Amino acid sequence: MTKILYVQTSGTDTPERLYAPFVLGTTAAAMDVEASIFFMIRGITAVRKGEAEKIRLGSFPSLAEVMRQAIGAGVRIYICEQSSHLLGIPPGDFIPEGTIAGGATLNDLALEADAVLTF
Amino acid sequence: MTGKITPAREVDCVGLFCPMPISRTKEEIEQIGIGEILRVEADDPAAEEDITRWAKRAGHEIVGFEKEEGILTFYIRRMK
Repeated sequence: MTKILYVQTSGTDTPERLYAPFVLGTTAAAMDVEASIFFMIRGITAVRKGEAEKIRLGSFPSLAEVMRQAIGAGVRIYICEQSSHLLGIPPGDFIPEGTIAGGATLNDLALEADAVLTF
Repeated sequence: MTGKITPAREVDCVGLFCPMPISRTKEEIEQIGIGEILRVEADDPAAEEDITRWAKRAGHEIVGFEKEEGILTFYIRRMK
């Protein structure tokens, strides 16, 4: 199966950058493409419990709604919990759908994907 | 199942975080013979996914895995 990986490095301080991987992931699933999103650096702030509910931009639904659609479509979520140490923020209470992962997982996902996009 | 596995060597990665559990596991598996088993303990939650993927890519076999009170224990057979 064709695979695509989105790497989310920007976080809730730039909410306009958070929708794309979920929208694209849902689209990929509809195209029979296996999609994963890896949240790292500031990106992890988007997958802390309760954060996506607070974000709503323009005429888009809330980020939580878009996230729910993507997860429901089978998009896999990976979270670099260790980025919280890098940022000096308390380790997050992350959404339960996410898998806590690190460098070996990101390298492996990138190597096995047919394409990698970063937001 | 893992009660029957006798490791040739053990490595304690408790308290270590990415990338150290992977680095230590690689160093230690090179100290055992092909076909022998390395037991790895870690408490980094990322290690479950990371070590599983590392083993697959490195060509080794995870023959046992336990998760108890935040401690992950892997039994990895060196395959090459």
